Amino acid sequence: MIKDITIGQYFPGNSLVHKLDPRAKLVLTFVYILLIFLCKNFVSLGILVAYLLVSVLLSRISVRMILKSLKPIVILVCITSVLQIFYNSDGTVLWELGKFKLTTGGVFMALFTTVRIIALVTASALLTYTTSPTLLTDAIERLFSPLKRVHINVHSIAMMMTIALRFIPTLIDEVDKIMSAQKARGADLDTGGIVQRGKALIPVFVPLFVSAFTRAYDLAFAMECRCYRGGEGRTRLRVMRLRARDYIVFLVTAVCVAGIAVANRLLPAVI
Amino acid sequence: MPILETQNLTYVYGEGTPFRIEALKNVNISIEKGELVGVIGHTGSGKSTLMQHLNGLLKPTSGKVLLGGEDIHASKEATRAARFRVGLCFQYPEYQLFESTVYKDIAFGPRNMGLNETEIRERVQRAAEFLEIRSDWMDKSPFDLSGGEKRRVAIAGVMAMQPEILILDEPTAGLDPRGRDRITDMICKYGLSTGSTVLVVSHSMDDVASFASRILVMDHGQNVLGGTVDEVFRQVDKLVSMGLDVPQLTKIFLRLQASGVSVRTDIYTLAQAKRELLRLFFEKGGTA
Repeated sequence: MIKDITIGQYFPGNSLVHKLDPRAKLVLTFVYILLIFLCKNFVSLGILVAYLLVSVLLSRISVRMILKSLKPIVILVCITSVLQIFYNSDGTVLWELGKFKLTTGGVFMALFTTVRIIALVTASALLTYTTSPTLLTDAIERLFSPLKRVHINVHSIAMMMTIALRFIPTLIDEVDKIMSAQKARGADLDTGGIVQRGKALIPVFVPLFVSAFTRAYDLAFAMECRCYRGGEGRTRLRVMRLRARDYIVFLVTAVCVAGIAVANRLLPAVI
Repeated sequence: MPILETQNLTYVYGEGTPFRIEALKNVNISIEKGELVGVIGHTGSGKSTLMQHLNGLLKPTSGKVLLGGEDIHASKEATRAARFRVGLCFQYPEYQLFESTVYKDIAFGPRNMGLNETEIRERVQRAAEFLEIRSDWMDKSPFDLSGGEKRRVAIAGVMAMQPEILILDEPTAGLDPRGRDRITDMICKYGLSTGSTVLVVSHSMDDVASFASRILVMDHGQNVLGGTVDEVFRQVDKLVSMGLDVPQLTKIFLRLQASGVSVRTDIYTLAQAKRELLRLFFEKGGTA
């Protein structure tokens, strides 16, 4: 049950998208999300969707996995599109019932928002699907390293993120195991009211915290044994370097951005 | 009729994802009342997954688990009842301890069964006896005990439920040799004196040889071998090809035979080895 969560999961692969520099991917995803909010009509949105589709195809991540990542937002999408349909009363009226009017403007708006939300989630899912958490935090550390100037310890923050991400699956496994063990002793974890359920979780959380703390101490020891002393003077095993493929992707993205700018300027806006 | 039986038990992890693994394939085992069964297999052979099916924690993808002839997934009540009738003690059970005192922790299972206080007290006491848990530990925090002591408390927690079938997943993993022998002895004593059925998953061929009346061998999610200690350990080559082994003592006698000494090779325990060596000694003209 807990293991079914796919958001933030990483699927190892060897595709172009996998191989892109993680910094590039991070920046591109950020730019992409920004563009989603900046595009104003269906042509520019079309360019964005096409861009995303090509990326998904290149990543060779199965469509089913992408759909799975969209599952949690189905309700959100439904609610927003229904609201959009009836909130907007521009354009010609298609159907009318008392106070409610269904207009072309409303339908366009709903469609536009839906596509936007889906593109947003898919893009971020694609980033985590194709980038290992370690690389991702590495990239964050590198991108934010200028903040060192203002005495923010970027390395420590990145290290904490790496460790946290690294231990999520471990702790999920642990919860699974402890829950099974307590269920085997007759613990009833799935029935009863909120108070009862909360109480029933004590046998799960106490061992979980005990083992999490033990793990934390062990890890700190192991790191010190290997002379870890923070980021100062630390070199990297994998040095990130932008390659030709990264520049090509930048170029393609730049063309898309230009396309969207032109479309936004020349064509009428939907919103 | 066997007390516990599986019919074409198949279980698949992560169906529909790139991580799909067929953990169990058509497993058919049957266990008679009062047996002491050893389950061996390489890491990832499906032993633990199989054990979690036997008390209904995992639901088979296909196939059935029959407890006393009835499907444990026939109804919700049947599944819950199976939890109490089949006691499962996980690997490294000391990580499941959570109560403020040893007594309360051992009493957790019996309390969940809805027993009254006197009955709970009796069961805790009995389980504590089997695992040689000293009475002055009872009011201590389980977190103050040593690793081996915690392990015994955790096993007592499952034993106190007095299940008809007790399953222990690697009860001796990570213990020192003396701790291992002690726990194996305690489990053995429990099985023999209560007449309960006991299944023990183990990596150690020596442990299994010392207590089991029957052995099941798992490999790649299948039950590939089964039989008495002798029937299983006789098939040395087959076991080795699965990444398993025979008991250390058996190896010694196999080597002796290979180097031309005429000895029996169906030697699995220290007592058998002693008898055979003495026989050899007298045969060659030695005197006591």
